[in-house]
Amino acid sequence: MNRYIPNPTPCGRTRREFLWQVGGGFAGLALIDLLTRDGAFAAETTKGAPGLLAAKPPHFQAKAKHAVFLFMNGAPSHIDTFDYKPELSKFDGQPYQGNLTVGSNGRPVGHLMQTPFEFKKHGQSGLEISSLFPRTAKFADDLCVIRSMHTDTAAHASGCLQMNTGSVIIGKPSIGAWLSYGLGTMNESLPSFVVMTDPRGGPISGPSNWTAGYMPAAYQGTLFRSTGAPLLDLATPAGASERTQRHSLDLLERLNREHLETRPGDSELVARIHSYELAYRMQTTAAEVVDLGKEDVKTREMYGLDDKRTSDFGSKCLITRRLLEKGVRFVQLYSGGGHIEDTWDGHTDCITNHKTHAGETDQPIAALMADLKRTGLWDETLLIWGGEFGRTPTSEGVGKPGRDHNWYGFSMWLAGAGVKGGQAIGSTDELGFKAVEEPCHVSDLHATILHLMGLDHTRLTYFYQGLNQRLTGVRGNVVKKVLA
Amino acid sequence: MIRALGIGLSFVAVAAQAQVAKELPPPVNTTVDFARDIRPILASRCFPCHGPQLQLHKLRLDRKAEASKGGESGVAAILPGKSADSLMIKYVAGLDPDVVMPPSGPRLTAAEIGLLRAWIDQGASYGEEPAAQTAAQPMAAPRRAVDYWAFKPPARLVIPSVKNAAWARNPIDAFVLAKLEAKGWKPSPPAAPQALLRRIYLDLIGLPPTLAEREEFLKDPSPTSIDRLVDNLLARPSYGERWARRWLDLVRYAETNGYERDATKPNAWRYRDYVIRSFNDDKPFDRLVLEQLAGDELAEITADSLTALGYYRLGPWDDEPADPQVDRFDQLDDIVSTTSQVFLGLTLGCARCHNHKFDPLLASDYYSMVAIFNGLERPRNGRTELDLPVGTRVELEALAARDRQIEPLEKQIKELRDAFRTEFLNSGRSKLAADVVRAFLTDPKKRDDNQRKLIADHAKELEQEIDEALPADIRKEIAAPEQRIAGLKEATPDLPRAYFLHEPSPHPPQTHLLIRGKAAQPGPEVQPGVPAVLVSYQPQFPPPSYTSQRRLTLARWITSPDHPLTARVLVNRIWQYHFGEGLVRTPSDFGMMGEEPTHPELLDWLASWFVDEGWSIKKLHRLIMTSNTYRMSKAWNSVYGAEDPEDRLLWRVPYTRLEVEAIRDSMLAVSGQLNPQMYGPSMYPFIPEAALAGNSDPDKIWKNSEEREASRRTIYAFLKRSMIVPMLEVLDLCDTTKTSGKRAVTSVAPQALTLFNGDFVNRQARHLASRLEREAGPDPEKQIERAYLLALSRPPTPAERKSMLEFLRTEPLHELCRVIFNLNELVYTD
Repeated sequence: MNRYIPNPTPCGRTRREFLWQVGGGFAGLALIDLLTRDGAFAAETTKGAPGLLAAKPPHFQAKAKHAVFLFMNGAPSHIDTFDYKPELSKFDGQPYQGNLTVGSNGRPVGHLMQTPFEFKKHGQSGLEISSLFPRTAKFADDLCVIRSMHTDTAAHASGCLQMNTGSVIIGKPSIGAWLSYGLGTMNESLPSFVVMTDPRGGPISGPSNWTAGYMPAAYQGTLFRSTGAPLLDLATPAGASERTQRHSLDLLERLNREHLETRPGDSELVARIHSYELAYRMQTTAAEVVDLGKEDVKTREMYGLDDKRTSDFGSKCLITRRLLEKGVRFVQLYSGGGHIEDTWDGHTDCITNHKTHAGETDQPIAALMADLKRTGLWDETLLIWGGEFGRTPTSEGVGKPGRDHNWYGFSMWLAGAGVKGGQAIGSTDELGFKAVEEPCHVSDLHATILHLMGLDHTRLTYFYQGLNQRLTGVRGNVVKKVLA
Repeated sequence: MIRALGIGLSFVAVAAQAQVAKELPPPVNTTVDFARDIRPILASRCFPCHGPQLQLHKLRLDRKAEASKGGESGVAAILPGKSADSLMIKYVAGLDPDVVMPPSGPRLTAAEIGLLRAWIDQGASYGEEPAAQTAAQPMAAPRRAVDYWAFKPPARLVIPSVKNAAWARNPIDAFVLAKLEAKGWKPSPPAAPQALLRRIYLDLIGLPPTLAEREEFLKDPSPTSIDRLVDNLLARPSYGERWARRWLDLVRYAETNGYERDATKPNAWRYRDYVIRSFNDDKPFDRLVLEQLAGDELAEITADSLTALGYYRLGPWDDEPADPQVDRFDQLDDIVSTTSQVFLGLTLGCARCHNHKFDPLLASDYYSMVAIFNGLERPRNGRTELDLPVGTRVELEALAARDRQIEPLEKQIKELRDAFRTEFLNSGRSKLAADVVRAFLTDPKKRDDNQRKLIADHAKELEQEIDEALPADIRKEIAAPEQRIAGLKEATPDLPRAYFLHEPSPHPPQTHLLIRGKAAQPGPEVQPGVPAVLVSYQPQFPPPSYTSQRRLTLARWITSPDHPLTARVLVNRIWQYHFGEGLVRTPSDFGMMGEEPTHPELLDWLASWFVDEGWSIKKLHRLIMTSNTYRMSKAWNSVYGAEDPEDRLLWRVPYTRLEVEAIRDSMLAVSGQLNPQMYGPSMYPFIPEAALAGNSDPDKIWKNSEEREASRRTIYAFLKRSMIVPMLEVLDLCDTTKTSGKRAVTSVAPQALTLFNGDFVNRQARHLASRLEREAGPDPEKQIERAYLLALSRPPTPAERKSMLEFLRTEPLHELCRVIFNLNELVYTD
């Protein structure tokens, strides 16, 4: 009895589930003759490639087909970026007298500290953005800043997990996995969900941030490197020529097909044969996507590829555009990796830290936005910017320039397909500690992202361990003001 | 984790419709009858939490007096005559966005609310209240009525008679054949001897047969000789190395904690070795349960029984939880959820926030289980986890006594050294930098961050200086206690240490039911107990001894011979690992959302037989593998296949891809590189730099073992939660964060990349090529022949031989070996 077809459960694999699983979506075409023998599948097979990653219709029409999550790992300070607090300047240097437990993990709490960065109104909307992002600010009328974000934890590990998987507990599927599961893939030679980390290291908990959790592994994010071979084991092994590689694959296929002839009826065998062909295709496509050699000088300049400071994040942003062009559904880019000052985690000197990280990302992000507009991808791509929480309006230690973790309130922005730009939603209190007006929990952000992609977060469920699981758990409301 | 799962469904039900209602549905305008119209609604939707058994928020709705009084809010739930003002109506109608009742399941309909309103307006009569219905009513009584196969003890069934009696080699065959015959079907013919040989080897020991073993077997492949082969393989240590891994999947085994620091669990590998040894020793399953759940509460504790308790501590652990109180319950949830799924096949974790949606498991059942484990504690020093010595009670007490004697001696030595250290630092003789010396001399309480770091960095150096500078008189003074310590340690040596949770006090803290699973909202206190639906009477929890004895009581109940679930769940698991699918295809969910057994009679017969035969897993393997059912061919039958594509009737043995461990180990065996060294600390298979780059500490996270060490069996590979060996991960290793009763099988392109281009396979291909040149000489025909015999236990067909010879004309031998390692036949046995 399978009451929850087609959600594949880790237990109780039915034949139908099994056929969804084989090939991870790519094996589809070769399987059609096998599938159509099975009457129950006729309807599905006519709609294109079956398999876990078969394209599925959204719950409702939506503009966004792709999403890009610009993850500012380490937690950027909202009061130094998108949440201007003039009151903080008034009380600069005075002790905080409110009743919140400030900071994290017993770190020293200093006095209130104003932002050293100048905020200006930008664009027709007059959106306030700090001087850290001069280029992003040119897109002020496209940005929808949520100034009232809040989350459940002040620790990086659980904060990143919550932002990426909706839960502070390790092992839940990430938002990219949910999108792959809900919408399927749009291409047959690349993964549907690609992640690019910072060369200084990945986020804490690494792959748990792009895992498929309890869903099949086909939905998990594939880690692309922005230099060299983008995928693990993508390159033909050292010592083997391309001709040898092709010869070997041909022999493998011939032997496997002979094996299959005497074992009809087992489509798992077919799917496995097919996976080698796709792998071979990926060897070429994935390598091409990261090869930026053919991009013109103007593009290179725009993304800052030749400036040491911006070249890494710039390459990632440019690769992102190229991945979107190839039909990749969801791309997640990390700015900052490893620990403390290598990320946005400005404990000791938030000012220098943010100058560094904003300096590395502002130009590439602006370039990506301009480029998406140029190519028309802007109209079908959702951009998400932010980190796992915010930073304290107080300094970390009296008279020190650092800021500690703040999970009561922080800012993120959305832009692109379906987003109403040029606005700020919600607010923190006058000093910037806590979201007070229109508070937006991470689960609300998730509900909104899914909505923008055409998915109803209460209907996008996955049956596991006896229950219908959701990205948003038991929470989440779509922030209607975000929608264009 | 189950917290989120738990409420997920209820939310769907509530949230989808729970927009705040502005108006109340009108009362019906007929005279209502309590017994006919009202009681059914209240009994099914309200009483489970606010009735005779449970009074959440101290509210009870099954008696008028209490319903009119209200719960802990002090507000009346019903105001007879005033339905619109009654809290119950407001809540069921959804007028209050924060409280919608019932909190789970479908919302009450307007018609039902209309009936409730009319009933309250008409005076809220409860009819004749039975006086006997008091709070003292036993919880189990009303729920024993649940008529569900898995909650009743296995039936003792007569072995069915079959037409083709000759085929029925043992009772398994009779049960399988009876079903096939009822349909007019025949079982698949027997598998060819050489196919069966490879199947049996990989199934039992996870390695292919050697050439000599193959030759020996093919001399006499009779059924009885196959029986002997099974016995032979069951007796090999490599059997435990294969089958223990399945248990490790179930108990979410990994050697690190996950989360930010992902620290290594000290000595966790001893638990892995315990499982391998236990499988090899054929430790009866009831004993395995007792040791793992209550190894410290047994009359005779041993190093083994304490190591077994590692079971509780294998899951992820956040050493910096956002909310320690919540975290405590997350930890207990990990134990309750894992234990109920692994041993009972029940998803009790779903009842953490509310009663189970589908099974008759209540939140009170869940917290009664929490109460059983609530005395367990994690030995640690802040974020640093501690392991503990293991041994018999006598050994442990001797060790404790020794350490009590050593303690003052060590203190004495420390004082002497401390005094000298200060003198030494003040004397300016230290070669350490001035600021470091200053840091050491600063009062520990007044040291700043920088000084603490300096001290951590230079402590070792300073102690070396002290060692060298100690004057003779102090040295002499220290020598006496040192000698004494050495003597004590010689008389009573250290014990091995293992990684487990312990119960330091026999009196666990009180356990409360948590309202909606929230740690901050404790409800009524609950007593230890097992899921009420499974028992007529709760097992007797004895008074505390060294510990609370609660886990021992639970383990004894789980292993009671007439337990409805334990044996069924276990025999089903073993069946699944032999056949790819269990008789119940949801191996960790025997509840109502699980699948029904394909062969219920066989399942019951096997479960009873298993208990009767002393819970011996090896006997169970033998029974299964000596059946003709197991020895059927895997050939497809288009007629049967069209009607029963999932092979639910077992008309053949289905194809199942080998697990990554068997794939990797086979390649090592075929290439001749397998290092048979058993047990001990884990090895670190090669991970390329590129894969480490995705992590936050790429330099420190992984130290590749040298090749010989890394060529041990895969069960000895270090399992680091934040850095799973990519080859294992991509080839569907189970999720290590929670119990896993069945591996996923996916066939995605990254697997092909790993197996075709990856370092491991290419390395083994070169080793195999050298082996072939060594053993078969330069003749390509002989090399091909030998390669196939080693890898696939059969000679190549003429067509295969031709293709490969042609290939070798232009390509080197190791390329052919790489192709062979990627064949479907290598990972799908016939």
